[in-house]
Amino acid sequence: MNPAPPAATGAQSLRTSLRILGWTGLGLIAVAVSLSDFLASAPPDAAAIGPLMLPPTEAFKFGTDILGRDMLSETLHGLSVTLRLAVPAALIALLFGTLFGSVAARTPVMVSLSLRWLLGILAALPALLLAILLIGLTARGWASLAAGLSAAPLGFVRSFDRASLQAHAVHTEYARATGISSATLLRRDLVYEFSGTLSTSAARALAAVTIILSTTSFLGFGAEPPHRDLGLMIAAAKTYYLHAWWTAAFPALTLMILILFARLAAGLDEGERP
Amino acid sequence: MLRFVLNEAGRLFLGLFGAALMAAAVAALSVPHAADGLAYFLVAWGGRINDLIHLRFGESVISGLPIIAELAARLPLTLGLVIEGVIVAALVGIPIGFLFGAGPARRAAAPLIQIVAAAPVFCAGLVLAYGAASLLHWPVPINGGVSIVLFPQNATQAQAMVLPALTVGLAGAAAVQLALRRSAAEAGQQSWRFYLRRMGLPSWDVERNYVMPQIFAGLLASLGEVMLALLSAAAVAEWVFSCRGAADLFVKSVALHDWSATAAVLFVFAGLTLVAQFVGQCGARLLTSAGPAR
Repeated sequence: MNPAPPAATGAQSLRTSLRILGWTGLGLIAVAVSLSDFLASAPPDAAAIGPLMLPPTEAFKFGTDILGRDMLSETLHGLSVTLRLAVPAALIALLFGTLFGSVAARTPVMVSLSLRWLLGILAALPALLLAILLIGLTARGWASLAAGLSAAPLGFVRSFDRASLQAHAVHTEYARATGISSATLLRRDLVYEFSGTLSTSAARALAAVTIILSTTSFLGFGAEPPHRDLGLMIAAAKTYYLHAWWTAAFPALTLMILILFARLAAGLDEGERP
Repeated sequence: MLRFVLNEAGRLFLGLFGAALMAAAVAALSVPHAADGLAYFLVAWGGRINDLIHLRFGESVISGLPIIAELAARLPLTLGLVIEGVIVAALVGIPIGFLFGAGPARRAAAPLIQIVAAAPVFCAGLVLAYGAASLLHWPVPINGGVSIVLFPQNATQAQAMVLPALTVGLAGAAAVQLALRRSAAEAGQQSWRFYLRRMGLPSWDVERNYVMPQIFAGLLASLGEVMLALLSAAAVAEWVFSCRGAADLFVKSVALHDWSATAAVLFVFAGLTLVAQFVGQCGARLLTSAGPAR
């Protein structure tokens, strides 16, 4: 007997609506990014387009910054750079985190325990610091890979622990007893685990790596000028935004909207963390 | 219970051992030619492990100070921020978690919480600084000017300390309320809640004696995640508000390839998270195995 079926149905319906909203938002952002060169009135990093530090006006809807750059154009280009870095990073996080965790849980005991121990140690470090370390060990051009790899350990640990339960479940023992090979079982389990959740996991990874990438850029480890992402734009505005709010507010708002849509698409509303 | 604690202590020991090996590997990069090949690196790594066994932590290549002295000077500020963050997180996160953790409020709050959770920590810090500067006319330590100290001596220093502490605390509060909402959602789906009421127990008794321990146990089990959020936020807050803490040391050390200092901060942060995980798991076990609280 279920004590509260109507509430559960209502919550499910809200969750589905928010997820559709999230994917629609991400789709619109993808369209805006693909058309950013047409929508923006100035090329990336083009200085002296307008007066210096002009507040939002009819001609410059997001105002201009300390070098006279059009903030609307810069924000569009920044969004484009952020997304171009975040999408491969999300795929890396998905591959080396969620997917690898699921496979690793079904490897021989010594291998799986060693991997769980190693990745568990990496998961004990804040992903942001891990990303900074990886960029420091390589180069700023590798920010995308670093963000993906730094987000992976937490995904690996969660996926591994979930898959371990699955791998030792009664139905698995019965399946093995009937002669189904480990490879077939692994393939079936992976299809079962990811067939309905791949898009959710991808959106979750996108939200996580976008936060990591923009923060590393803000701290000076991510994107490099002239290809500024939103984090770097906000970092550049830090010295004067107290007197010119629009220089930081519009890139920050755009970044938040991107993360919000990714979170909604992932259906993160039950206390889940990306 | 003792067996569980010993098991968790074993995990903690293995985790700390692994973190020490990782820190030694990072510190090995400061040895000349360590990056020239695998053999050179392994020799340097072995040397660093040997140094670690003999409690030799090396010197910072930036300041020339021993790493221990550098950490002793900077870690208290970071720990102070984390402790203040824990207080803010508990004061803000627990009520919000309970308020929005169950019933119709949970559904109504879901979109609002999504919007708040979409703000990266550095954006939250900048918004707080903007609000303090323009509404309260506080001196904002964003671009230097006001030094941030652990124990403020005057009102200006106290005002400067509030902003990074709030930034860390709000990030912690987000993690706390998420953990609470998650465990409240899990407890809400348990059928025993319904059956206990059918057995004649008043709703308040069920909530107080059976549900609340489950929810707090869920929060404790997520203590490692909360610590990760606090440490991440401390790194960002120290950068935004120009604090000279351990996380700031980490960022500058990586930028200047001071791998010994980087390794030391990494080990301390990993250790803090692993200890928080251990304490949280044991606390959660204690709460759930003690039976209904009376």
